[in-house]
Amino acid sequence: MSLSAATRAEIETARERYPQARSAILPALWAVQHEVGHLSPDGMEEVARILHVTASEVEAVSTFYSMYFQKPHGRHEVIVCINVSCALRGADDIVAHLERSLGCESGSTTADGEFTWSSTVECLGACGGAPAMQLDHRFVENLTPESVDATLAAARASSPHATTGPGDAVGAEPAAASSGERRRGAPAGGRTRPRRRTKPEASDG
Amino acid sequence: MTQTPAAPGPDDGRVGVTIDGREVRVPKGTLVLDAATELGIHIPIYCAHAKLDPVAVCRMCLVHIEKFPKPQPACATTVAEGMVVTTNNAEVTKLREGVLEFLLVNHPLDCPVCDRGGECDLQDFTFRYGPGTSRFPITEKVHFAKALPLSQHIELDQERCILCWRCVRYYDEITGEKEIVLQQRGVQTLVTTFNGEQLKSNFQGNLPEVCPVGALTHREYRFRARPWELQRAPSVCPECSYGCNINADSRDFEIKRFASRDNPLVDDMWLCDRGRYSFPQWNTSERVRRPQLRPRGGEQRDVTAVEAISAAARELRAVVDQHGSGAVGVLGSALNTNEELWLLGRLARDVIGTPHIDHQLEPFEKLDPAEHALGIADIEECDALVVLGAEPEAEAPVLTLRLFKAERKRGARVHRLDHGADPSRIASAVRGAKTIGVIADETNRAHAARVAAAITGGAVRRLTVTRGVNGRGAKDMGVLPGLAAGYRSAPSGKHGREILEAAASGALRALLILGPNPALETAGDVLQRALARADSVVVIDSRPGVCAGAATVLIPGHAFFEKHGTVTNLEGRVQRIRPALPPATPTPTETRVLSSLAAELGARDWDRGEPSAVNRALRAALAPYAAAGNGGRATWVAEAVA
Ligand code: SF4
Ligand code: SF4
Ligand code: FES
Ligand code: FES
Repeated sequence: MSLSAATRAEIETARERYPQARSAILPALWAVQHEVGHLSPDGMEEVARILHVTASEVEAVSTFYSMYFQKPHGRHEVIVCINVSCALRGADDIVAHLERSLGCESGSTTADGEFTWSSTVECLGACGGAPAMQLDHRFVENLTPESVDATLAAARASSPHATTGPGDAVGAEPAAASSGERRRGAPAGGRTRPRRRTKPEASDG
Repeated sequence: MTQTPAAPGPDDGRVGVTIDGREVRVPKGTLVLDAATELGIHIPIYCAHAKLDPVAVCRMCLVHIEKFPKPQPACATTVAEGMVVTTNNAEVTKLREGVLEFLLVNHPLDCPVCDRGGECDLQDFTFRYGPGTSRFPITEKVHFAKALPLSQHIELDQERCILCWRCVRYYDEITGEKEIVLQQRGVQTLVTTFNGEQLKSNFQGNLPEVCPVGALTHREYRFRARPWELQRAPSVCPECSYGCNINADSRDFEIKRFASRDNPLVDDMWLCDRGRYSFPQWNTSERVRRPQLRPRGGEQRDVTAVEAISAAARELRAVVDQHGSGAVGVLGSALNTNEELWLLGRLARDVIGTPHIDHQLEPFEKLDPAEHALGIADIEECDALVVLGAEPEAEAPVLTLRLFKAERKRGARVHRLDHGADPSRIASAVRGAKTIGVIADETNRAHAARVAAAITGGAVRRLTVTRGVNGRGAKDMGVLPGLAAGYRSAPSGKHGREILEAAASGALRALLILGPNPALETAGDVLQRALARADSVVVIDSRPGVCAGAATVLIPGHAFFEKHGTVTNLEGRVQRIRPALPPATPTPTETRVLSSLAAELGARDWDRGEPSAVNRALRAALAPYAAAGNGGRATWVAEAVA
């Protein structure tokens, strides 16, 4: 496999951005994940070649962070918080509900390839809206079994996972609509801090 | 206990610290850990390693330092004037117990079946500093993969790993290959390679020594011995001329492993895999055990060593009487000790009277003292290093690590070039460097001299990578045509290949071969013809090979790990070898056999030939060897090598 020219260019741009090419491993991995959907060994080797580091280093970094996927992933990603605030507000019920409605265990992908979900994450930083989960890098808060169902249904009908990232494209409003939804990292008031992935010079809004 | 800070001393670049009530003055920048070691105070460490930069990740070395709000890692804290350190109070004890208890939470406690048991820092420190009991249930441990082969040499047990990062840093800082990494995080962290791939490095064998526990083990040593059963013989790696120091560890009269023996001037504690894993060959039972006479056309029979030596003298004398002393060819080997080679040279020139003596096949033009001026440790002082061809690093692999150290620590530039590379191009490539090292193997000596001459504007020193563990010693001892011991000029004679050719054509009638000599066996067909044609073939050898097979007089020799002696490495360092195994034959040592042979041939002033006495004699005769002593470098000056 080889990466697309656009992805390669993106990695090269990232490489130029840092005094040490090694620092560009994180953005490079994002680029690969956005293209391929996960971090394949080939993809990591290619990152290593472009950045002049070893593939072992790339893989070490990629496994340290839980938001990089080592295996092929569902079209959407759902992670459910089970930390204190959420636990107190019924996270267990949400986890049990997800298990039932998705028909697979935490850490796995639904048979139709739509969702990969996990409940092993710690505090998402959305305690104010506990219980909370994150769908494709967006928070969904104040969950109830019904709102979970609605969110999942909307996601099924939406565009693929690859359009979102930690700093997703400006203006691409989430297709999944739910009352408690806001961007990850955004204050509950709704102010957003969109970041461009590929154009670092575009400053925050 | 309250301690008082040391009174400030003179400003000599040193600072005074007090550790557990005792004062010591150490150079500025010294780590608390090293200052304590100087006082003989033990601080347990896991992540710290003498050859690696501090990372302070394991927290085993935490100590109390006055005026610091929290305990500090001794492995990463440098001393300061008046610092007062405590390593033995209740606070430190509690910290150590805590760290150990924590490390043992998921540790499998395989000690009874772990190769490392008996020399494991986790076991030892737990015993010495540990809490004795654990508050964690033994059944609910997090498990990881065990006995995972990382290569043909290395096996990984992920459960035993204490995540000290040493293996990762070894690959980072010492070889630069970065093959091993830590993946995942928290309790899931594990040591592994990219995509589970096999290690490719030529220096994997150092990993089990770097690892403080039994997580990385040698596959060749697994379950072969317990450390306390091993006999340890400090010796030298016999695989190449670099002369890495080793401990040959044996049990039940078999060498079980070669372990490194840190000599900062040579190996810096690292061995290459070729050397480290070469030990099984010394356990072979294929040995020449009995002296034998096999007269041409006669019956082969076993004799005593004394009879064999007399017969050898008789045969050689007969050839000399009939055809002259120049009809004898003498061949030593780069696997012989200096003591043996020194006697062999004297036997050939002074007793038999033949100029035809060598230890290798190729001709050797006279030594240029400049070609060994660059010592191994000096490599670190170079701004630029020129390596001609791949041979130097192929012959002496650990050289690669020293070059990398120069690159990493000093920012030296290493130019790996073709043998034939144009001297003036090389000169411009290293322009601006103040100290330059030029390294080449023996076949490229002349070109290296041209390269060195072309470089202007910096101090140039050369290093020639000789072949064979004692190839350098063989030359110093005068086992060379035309050059007697100490490179004194001698009547010119035939070099190794010419000796074989002359014997094959009938011009030489007798061969005296002191083996084992693997180089000789690369000569091919001419060796067979030479051995078959000569009237007399006297062979002193430990291995039954082509030469031993064709001997008319065969005298069993002692293998490298069965004898005492010295060998000289490529930079001229004279180092002791010691027996790790009992001799496979009751025959006297080679030095005694050579002395007896000389006596039988009429030499009067030779002593019995004990290796230690021969060593004294050769030192008395060769000033550089007297100066080198044991472990120093023998260097030749230009006038002596006229
Ligand atoms: S394998 Fe050994 S050296 Fe490597 S991190 Fe684990 S304990 Fe340390
Ligand atoms: S470099 Fe040479 S002396 Fe050192 S371990 Fe390797 S083979 Fe042995
Ligand atoms: S505890 Fe769930 S978001 Fe903080
Ligand atoms: S030895 Fe000091 S922190 Fe590990």
